[in-house]
Amino acid sequence: MGAAAGGEGEAVRVLVVDDSPVDRRVVELLLRNHAAAFHVTTVDSGKKAMELLGLNNAGKQRSIDMVLTDYCMPEMTGYDLLQAIKALGSANPIPVVVMSSENEPQRISRCLTAGAEDYIVKPLRKKDVQRLRNCSAARSATKDAVAADDRRWSSVKKNDAPAPPPRPDTAAKKATSEQRPRRLAGAGLAMASTVDLSHYLQFLFKFILLAYAVLCLTELLHRWSSGCFLSQLP
Amino acid sequence: MAAVALKNQLNAHIASMFAAGFLDKQFQELQMLQDDGSSPGFVSEVVGLFIDDAEKITGLIAGLLDQPVVDFDKVDALVHQLKGSSASVGAQRVKLSCEQFHSYYEAKNRDGCVMALALLRNEFYDSRSKFQTMFQLEQQIEACS
Repeated sequence: MGAAAGGEGEAVRVLVVDDSPVDRRVVELLLRNHAAAFHVTTVDSGKKAMELLGLNNAGKQRSIDMVLTDYCMPEMTGYDLLQAIKALGSANPIPVVVMSSENEPQRISRCLTAGAEDYIVKPLRKKDVQRLRNCSAARSATKDAVAADDRRWSSVKKNDAPAPPPRPDTAAKKATSEQRPRRLAGAGLAMASTVDLSHYLQFLFKFILLAYAVLCLTELLHRWSSGCFLSQLP
Repeated sequence: MAAVALKNQLNAHIASMFAAGFLDKQFQELQMLQDDGSSPGFVSEVVGLFIDDAEKITGLIAGLLDQPVVDFDKVDALVHQLKGSSASVGAQRVKLSCEQFHSYYEAKNRDGCVMALALLRNEFYDSRSKFQTMFQLEQQIEACS
C-alpha cells in the first residue's frame, strides 16, 4: 500500500473521499488541471475508501499516495477514516488531508492531533492544491531517508555487532520534512561510530594480554639463561 | 455579429448575478479553471450536478419535516451537504439560506424549519432560473460560432 510516488515529475495518486457528487467533481477537476500531475480516484464513502485501500481485507488494494477526505460523511466520517489509516502503525503511513466547510479550531486541532497532514477549508481553490503537493513531497522525502538509513545499517551490520537500537518514535511522529531525514542520518552515523569503538577496545585488550604474556616469557628465559633456575634444583 | 451580441448579453447576465449576490468568488474560480482550456463545459457540468443534488436534497428535507417525529439530525446533515455543494459552485444565496436554516434545526423547531425550507427553495429556484438562462445563452453562442 502506498507505493513510492510523489517525487518531482511523478504523478501523485490521490484518493478523494466525499459523499457530495458536486464536491467530488470540483476537487477532481481542480487536481487534474493543476500543473503538478495528480492521478485522481474518487469514492463516495469512507467504507469504499477502506475497501480500495485494502484496510478491511476485502479484495486487493490499489496503490495510493495520499487520501483527501471530507470530514462530514454519513456512517463513516473522514475522522474515522483518518484514524483507521493511522491505526495501521506503518513506518510510512499514507498522508491524509481532511477538508471541511467548517472552519472550527477544535475540529482542526482534533484532526491534526490524530495525524492528519493538513486541514483544508472548503471550497477547495487552486492555491490549496499546492498544499496537497507539499504533503505528498514531504512523505516522499521521508521514505527516501528511511531507505538510505536501512542501506547504511545493512553495510555495517556484523555477527558480533550489537543489535541496532529501535527506530526512534520521532521518525513516525509529525515533524517538518527537513528535520526528519536529518535526524535519521545523525542516528545512523552515531551507531556506526559505536561499533567501531567496540572493535578497537577488543583489539586493545588482546594486545595488552599478548604483551603481558611476552614479558612473562622473556623474564623466564632470562632467569634460566642466568643459571638461577638450575642451581635451585636438588 | 450575433455571437458578439450574445457574448455581451451573457457577460452582462453573469455580472448581474454577481451584483445581486447569486454568485461569489468561487464561481470565478470555476470559470478560470474552464478558461484554462483543459476542461471545456466544466462549469455547466458542475452547476448541473449542483441543481440535481439540490433538488434531491430539498425534497428529502421536505419529506423529513412531514414526518410525525422529525429527525433533526438528518435534516442537519442534508442542509450541511447542500451548504457544501452550493459553496463549491459559488451559489452564494443558496449557501446563505442554508446557514439561516441552521438555527431552526438546532432549536428543533419544526415550524421554523418549514419556513426556512420555503425560503431556501425560493432562493434555489431563483438561482436555478439564472443558471438556466446562462446556459441557454452559452448554447446559442456555440450554435452561432
